Amino acid sequence: MFDKILIANRGEIAVRIIRACKELGIRTVAVYSKGDTDCLHVQLADEAICIGEAPSKESYLKIDRIISAAEVGDVEAIHPGYGFLAENAHFAEVCEGCNIKFIGPPSSVIKAMGDKVAARDAMRKAGVPVVPGSDGLVDSEGDALKIARKTGYPVIVKAAGGGGGCGMRVAHNDPSLVTGYHMARAEAERAFGNSAVYIEKYIENPRHIEFQILADRKGNMVHLGERDCSLQRRHQKLLEESPSPALTNDLRKKMGKMAIKAAQAVKYVNAGTVEFLLNPDGEFYFIEMNTRVQVEHPVTEEVTGIDIVEEQLRIAAGEELGYSQKDVQFTKAAIECRINAEDPFNNFQSSPGRIEFLHVPGGHGVRVDTHVYGGYVIPPHYDSLVAKLICYGRDRRMAMDRMSRALDEFIIRGIKTTLPLHQLILKDPNFRRGRYGTSFIDRLLIDRQPLVSSAKK
Amino acid sequence: MELDQIQTIITMMKENDLAEFAMEENGLKIHIKRSPENAQPTVTVSAPAAGTPPAALTAVAAAPATAPIPDLPAEDVKHITAPMVGTFYRAPSPEARPYVEIGAAVEEDTVVCIIEAMKVMNEIKAEMKGVITDVLAENSKPVEFGQKLFAVKPR
Repeated sequence: MFDKILIANRGEIAVRIIRACKELGIRTVAVYSKGDTDCLHVQLADEAICIGEAPSKESYLKIDRIISAAEVGDVEAIHPGYGFLAENAHFAEVCEGCNIKFIGPPSSVIKAMGDKVAARDAMRKAGVPVVPGSDGLVDSEGDALKIARKTGYPVIVKAAGGGGGCGMRVAHNDPSLVTGYHMARAEAERAFGNSAVYIEKYIENPRHIEFQILADRKGNMVHLGERDCSLQRRHQKLLEESPSPALTNDLRKKMGKMAIKAAQAVKYVNAGTVEFLLNPDGEFYFIEMNTRVQVEHPVTEEVTGIDIVEEQLRIAAGEELGYSQKDVQFTKAAIECRINAEDPFNNFQSSPGRIEFLHVPGGHGVRVDTHVYGGYVIPPHYDSLVAKLICYGRDRRMAMDRMSRALDEFIIRGIKTTLPLHQLILKDPNFRRGRYGTSFIDRLLIDRQPLVSSAKK
Repeated sequence: MELDQIQTIITMMKENDLAEFAMEENGLKIHIKRSPENAQPTVTVSAPAAGTPPAALTAVAAAPATAPIPDLPAEDVKHITAPMVGTFYRAPSPEARPYVEIGAAVEEDTVVCIIEAMKVMNEIKAEMKGVITDVLAENSKPVEFGQKLFAVKPR
């Protein structure tokens, strides 16, 4: 096991990683920007090194400074968390070159899965179903029109160089495809420095089902079940749950096998997630693979009892998984609500600032992963995630009732948060019946305007 | 003596960078000691006895790490800070003399130290005109981004 590692991240995920390290007896080095001197991860780590000014590109994205900090801190490995450099193949390569273990898959695998078009290609070759669409990159307006007509509208133009909802445009006809094509390219260029795009059939109101994978360096691989992440707004996840109310046991087995097939096709190592779209007819298609630990990993941890960050550290240190698929038990149902510093009733406007009063819920079946504390000032430079509230129980009904109860107890004063929106979601009859897709949130905010107005009070 | 009076004294000590404070008033003795590493100052209070002399106050300034040039108002001091993370070296090699000592005049282009990062020795320039009044980082020790390396009296 490692003696000392560096966490190349901040906020709640840095706290999560430091906690796992403390439990394993690994000493920790945190890095922080000048905007994060009061952040909890800085206080919890054994050592902390300032690496730059507040903006991410002046600090958390500076590969040279992070490597310097790793050398100065004399660490054996770096955990990249999620976001920032977590899926940066070049960063993983630099670590490999400096003889620092990158806690994640090899840089070649990150590169293979980071190129969304190449990933689709690899999946097709491996016999994993992919969303119908372009065979490769789409280089011209003319090609875009040809492919869109062949695939059949509606289609979605997507950036090849990245995900997270950036560089995506849906088109229902020729004119909107032409504008969408150009806008997606421009956005992709700004977000990823790469304007390459491809086209897929747009599946209306699909469910977004992802499978958690763990693989050790010896090739042993398991999946830890699925997470239903269909509740999104503008392609950003708001709530995740497991098991998915949309899956039968049969479908779960089929999709699980496909997820393993996908990961094996690229010789995956460490923790990763294979994402599928599920259409109402029960057909599912691979869309992408995330080669990092994800925000919503606690959902799977509570369902299976497996500590995913600990497994990442063990795998990176060369240990074998020590268990096989039949040993993975799904004993609970779990739901996670992402509490963001945004005003859900004012177009999700950001709300950074000082947390004047904080009361975190507790009790049986309640878990809160957060880096905030009373008096903490949320800086404006980073993402708006304030806390993750995870509730679990023996079945979905128990998990939902606990979540409603915990949301009512949760008090965050001084900033606007999405807590009231989650309270609305948990009370929604369709959500409670497990009936929702990716357009659920938009409809909820429009249809339930009277409820929304009274929730504002 | 009330608790908030003691708190006020501690705050004043922090603000004026005092290391020790001792006071006697009507037999009540207070001795407060603070060290840079210690977050909590140690406070000793002894109860008054009958017929005691009036207040006697002594205060001792914190001992500085090296001998800086004194009597500089705060606004007159600028700092050369680390533009990167790495190991701080005062001289180009272990046998050579340091780039600058206290009292040295510097220009914008004067190399004041080396920060070693990823096996590369980076020469750090003063980027200001003035006189070095204090060396704030330790030779061959790690420094972080923004860490104060030298105090400079600008010209």
